[in-house]
Amino acid sequence: MTQKHDKHLILDNCIKCSICVANCPVVKVTDKYAGPKQNGPDLERFRLDEPRAVHPSIEYCSNCKTCDVVCPSGVNVSAMNCKAKGEYVALHGAPIRDQVLGRVELICKAAQIAPALVNWAANVKPFRAIGEATFGVAADMPFPRFASRTFLQQYKPKKINNPKGKVLYYPGCYVNYYTPQVGLALAEVFAHNGIEMVVDSFNCCGLPTVSNGLTEVAKGYARNNVAKLNSYIEKGYKIITTCPSCNLTLRQEYHELFDMDTVRINNETYDAFEYLLMLHEAGKLDTRLKALPQRFGYHQPCHLRSVGFGIPSLEILRLIPQLEVHNLEAGCCGLSGSYGFKKEKYPISQEIGQNVVQAIQEAGVTQNITECGMCQLQINHLSGLPIHHPIQLLAEAYGLPSYLPK
Amino acid sequence: MMNKKTDVLVIGAGLSGMMAAARAAQSGKKVTLLTKGMGTLSLTSGCIDLWGYEVDNPKQPCGSPFAQIQKVVEQNPSHPYAKVYDVLKESLTFFQGICDKDGLTYRDNGGENWLLPTAVGTLRPTYLAPTSMAVKDLNKVKQIVVAGFDELKDFYPEVLVTNLKKSKLLRPDCELTVAHLKSGWKKLYATSLAHRLEQPEGQREVIRQLKPLIKPGAIVLFPPALGERRDIDVAGLISKGLGCPVYEVTNLPPALPGQRLQDLFLKYLKNQGVTVILSSTVTGAQVAGNRCSHVTAEGAGKTFTISAQTYILATGSFVGGGFDSKPGQIEETIFGLPINTGDGKWASGEFLSLKGHPFNRFGIDVNDRLQPVDGQSKVILENVLVTGANLAGSEFSIEKCGNGVALASGFKAGKLAGEVSR
Amino acid sequence: MATEKVQVVVVGGGATGTGILRDLAMRGISALLVEQGDLAHGTSSRFHGLLHSGGRYAVKDQEAAKECLEENMILRRIASDCVEPTGGLFAALPEDDPAYAEKWVKACAESGIKTEELNIKELLKKYPVLSPRITKAYSTPDAAVDGFRLLWSNVNSARRYGAKMVTYHKLSAVYRANGAITGVELTNTLNGEITSVECQMVINAAGAWAGEVAAMAGLEIHMIKDKGTLLAFNHRLTNQVVNRLRPPGDADIFVPHGTITLLGTTSIAVEDPNSTKPSEIEVENMLNIGRETMPNIDNYRIIRAFAGVRPLYQANKGAGGRAVTRNFALIDHEQKDGLKGLVSIVGGKFTTYRLMAEKTVDLAAKKLGNNTPCRTAEEPLTQPVTSEMLERGKKVFGVPGYKKAAERLGDAYGKVVEKAEQDPSMRRMFCECELVSASEIDYVAKDGDSKTLSDIRRKTRMGMGTCQGIFCSYRTLGALGNNPQFTVGHREFITEFLQNRWRGIRPVLWGQQLRETQLSTGIFCSLFGMERMNDE
Repeated sequence: MTQKHDKHLILDNCIKCSICVANCPVVKVTDKYAGPKQNGPDLERFRLDEPRAVHPSIEYCSNCKTCDVVCPSGVNVSAMNCKAKGEYVALHGAPIRDQVLGRVELICKAAQIAPALVNWAANVKPFRAIGEATFGVAADMPFPRFASRTFLQQYKPKKINNPKGKVLYYPGCYVNYYTPQVGLALAEVFAHNGIEMVVDSFNCCGLPTVSNGLTEVAKGYARNNVAKLNSYIEKGYKIITTCPSCNLTLRQEYHELFDMDTVRINNETYDAFEYLLMLHEAGKLDTRLKALPQRFGYHQPCHLRSVGFGIPSLEILRLIPQLEVHNLEAGCCGLSGSYGFKKEKYPISQEIGQNVVQAIQEAGVTQNITECGMCQLQINHLSGLPIHHPIQLLAEAYGLPSYLPK
Repeated sequence: MMNKKTDVLVIGAGLSGMMAAARAAQSGKKVTLLTKGMGTLSLTSGCIDLWGYEVDNPKQPCGSPFAQIQKVVEQNPSHPYAKVYDVLKESLTFFQGICDKDGLTYRDNGGENWLLPTAVGTLRPTYLAPTSMAVKDLNKVKQIVVAGFDELKDFYPEVLVTNLKKSKLLRPDCELTVAHLKSGWKKLYATSLAHRLEQPEGQREVIRQLKPLIKPGAIVLFPPALGERRDIDVAGLISKGLGCPVYEVTNLPPALPGQRLQDLFLKYLKNQGVTVILSSTVTGAQVAGNRCSHVTAEGAGKTFTISAQTYILATGSFVGGGFDSKPGQIEETIFGLPINTGDGKWASGEFLSLKGHPFNRFGIDVNDRLQPVDGQSKVILENVLVTGANLAGSEFSIEKCGNGVALASGFKAGKLAGEVSR
Repeated sequence: MATEKVQVVVVGGGATGTGILRDLAMRGISALLVEQGDLAHGTSSRFHGLLHSGGRYAVKDQEAAKECLEENMILRRIASDCVEPTGGLFAALPEDDPAYAEKWVKACAESGIKTEELNIKELLKKYPVLSPRITKAYSTPDAAVDGFRLLWSNVNSARRYGAKMVTYHKLSAVYRANGAITGVELTNTLNGEITSVECQMVINAAGAWAGEVAAMAGLEIHMIKDKGTLLAFNHRLTNQVVNRLRPPGDADIFVPHGTITLLGTTSIAVEDPNSTKPSEIEVENMLNIGRETMPNIDNYRIIRAFAGVRPLYQANKGAGGRAVTRNFALIDHEQKDGLKGLVSIVGGKFTTYRLMAEKTVDLAAKKLGNNTPCRTAEEPLTQPVTSEMLERGKKVFGVPGYKKAAERLGDAYGKVVEKAEQDPSMRRMFCECELVSASEIDYVAKDGDSKTLSDIRRKTRMGMGTCQGIFCSYRTLGALGNNPQFTVGHREFITEFLQNRWRGIRPVLWGQQLRETQLSTGIFCSLFGMERMNDE
């Protein structure tokens, strides 16, 4: 579709109604953030003359993109905030902590030397206390656990005869390094439905770097990814993601932030459930599903909301007999990637997440699902309840290996 | 490309769109609601204004709005109320039912309009108000304490008091007291104040600072920020602590009453099985004869189509984004429906006057079934229904009828869509 | 009735009048300036704010061009915080006569105006908003000037030298005896109070109203009143002034000003100097011409239109509009009409206001027997804000709020920063579109010269941005609760303020501005019911 966004035109669309401020989860719980409007469309007018016009509170933006979703005027508020953050970091530098937390790809690669050791060390209390005192990494926020083997190491492509479709799966860092079971379950579901799925090694999508203002690093990732994705698209592959943030970044952010032409990538990239729903609408999805007499709470990740195709996972899961999924409808979980790991933001992140806790209690559910790995981490931390990716439930209902804990 | 199918597609998440979706879902239809941003409901007072002033004496607040609306319907058949008068009362009951169930009670004033204070000290007529705003017996109150927060830049108790003092409705001996509260935060927005007041220590602090000022027979007026969540009755808790009623007044957006209503409805719709697609824009429609076969939508720049039996246009007027304008030219952005611009004059010379502005009356002409019609009253698209601010013929800002028209027309569209056989 | 006594009464609080006031004061002549509205009520705040390099006049009138250039350089020096040295560019389109460009380059060189031919490809890359049809482009030393601020800087400087100034006072009579001026009568336009002032001389610097002032002394000056309409765009379209490289015409100058861009102007003869209502036809015509230089101009949001009346003077009647010289004329009514003590200064342009003031005061001083030389070109109008104070400002107002406030406030900046340092609530930005803090609004409200919200708006830019005052007008009213002149008549204050804004919005009421206006009716009528306030 179109990528005609002239950033100045969009700037003109803002009528200052403040809906973005009213819905910002960060503004609600802290007085440290000047809000999406100030650093977005308000200061953007000044930045045309003075690029340094950035309010220092910009570091408190969690990049949840709620502002984009609620804006009735189509203003890309979050992109303005992200660019402002980049400008601010370029000028003032980022703390070592943010430079490290933002480079998820590097952390993950390094951890592969000895994942078990890293997992142990990462959650040893005294180490964490030192980490908080020295680097400002919140001691109370548990790190996700590295899988012993990455998804890419584990995945063996299956030969599909006369495939109904062929896809390239972009697992993203979280699935590859922390929750390979999600990718493996997806592979089962796709193979079962006659979809050929290939993988390749990619850079991190770059969202964590953007969120930490490391714009140049992100731009490098973007260039590599765009080139490689395009080469697959040329060969007729659709691009599939299971992580909503990767999906959003590949499809929209490269264009918004770096003016890259990603029209094709945008059109050919699908969330896994979006793709399955499309198969279903075309009558090509196997709907012979066994009953799952269970109840789950569902949390919609902010970045899934922001890409504007609804919640395809809920539409597909509705096909599973006796499965009851309750949409928690509680807004942002508060973690926002590396945001909630920062000492000064941890309390904000936890406070925002209370809405989710509350909704879980109200719904009386004891297990939850959500697409985003980081949301899973936060909701598990906040509620102590198990949480999975919805694709695992679908695999289970097909009677395939679902990699759910038994 | 994704091609979605649904029975009823509602475009827009303002009050009329959400009412339409709720009513259609009640009929057992598969309903999809798609919206670009949050509707303008959160920019409104959060009250349901039906009609504010006497038709024959527009400076005089009216008692019962229904009597006035009946007059309007008789005198002006092109007013939106003329198209939805048959369902007006039914739609109010339906609306109150949905809100009540979720703990947000909307109160009427025994058939008469309320006259409720605003942040500038005027009294605005409205028909239904949430409990937190429904000031009872203002004319009997002995003391009105207006509580502002120094850190909140959008509310000034002095302004409210200066002007409310002039109201003849108050007892002559009614004492107006200004209270400047301190939150301890550097700055407050309506939502952060609301969040703070949801915490017990926030309530305690407010009660501690206000208590010494309260005299017998007092009420306290707050900015519209007494909590966001519907499960914590902030107004009730503070009222209990102070031993007197407390209320929220209408103020500039962002304000919580409209937002609470928006949240409540979206949640309600999802629980009713309505598919809600946020952050997506309908960019065009495919029309065959006098029917729409599908619409094209775009989310994050990717296109998909949705086909439905009935399409409900609830995209709003200019603010909502339903109408786009260029010099001398106004366009309905999805179906290209004709906009009735009256005699072609867009605006009045005086910005604030009882005349209001023609542009607020601009909209789409419809028949009694809310189908868009052309100048010869011929139906343009039979499976498209038009609601709320998309309708021609009302001046919401002067007549005080915006949410009333939205509610009744949304309800009727939903009902009609529910009657369409598969 | 109060009585005062000064040597000179200056009539007209525009650029020329305030320049004269300062010059008089610096030469030790006691003076009172009288302005019927707020300062810059007339043309000095109703123009495109271009500080000419002289390029525009180089071909037609080299003398004028040289004057412009010289004054341009002087103002950059003495009023650096009122001038934004954007630089300018002159661009030719295929339909513009190439011979004119050649003549222009030569004339500029002869007038001493530095020009440099620009690479079109690079220029278009820098400003994609410009037409790809541009054939030639040159840079010039044009600049943007904030007229309003410059006027206040003149007044503040004059006041430091002992001069007096009153706004909202109208000249209601001129006293004369024995063929000489003896004084004037002033009427306060807000409360009707009358003051009389004894003086030896009246300097008529009333611009478009110069004829009316002369008439009060029983004399006639024939002014040509030429209305010019301008458009304000919501953001900076370019960072340089854009001129068309052809003989001067309508709608061919774009001037970036702070956050906005002004496009001007038209030229229409009018009778009444108060004819400042822009018409929709003028807007349309201007867009038609502006579109040549910036093809996508219709897609950019216009926040308002406004108009000013150029006071043109032509001793020999007949010509009009752009054909009339933009040069000024100094009229010694003693010589011309036999009335001692009256001098009129008419015509001219903003860029050369200081020179006009100098010449006028030279004449006045001679008549008064004062031979102190003029120093207005040497002494800066304001002391530049110290870098230490700027740093302190940055801490309380952030980037770029601190800089904008320093530009607006000049010498008063320190007080505004101090207040914000002491009281954090004063740091809040009341006007979020233009970054005006509570502290600044509070200071300006109390400065003694601010009577209405519109006065505060002009001094601070509060309400001049995207939302055109929807949010900040209410906030400002609220925050002024401690200032007695703002505690009553809220309806009147808001109505006056919004009506003033509406005058400018109405001719450009489409697109986003229509959305904004509908939101505004929602807030002021639907939410606040202000259309019926206090009616009961």
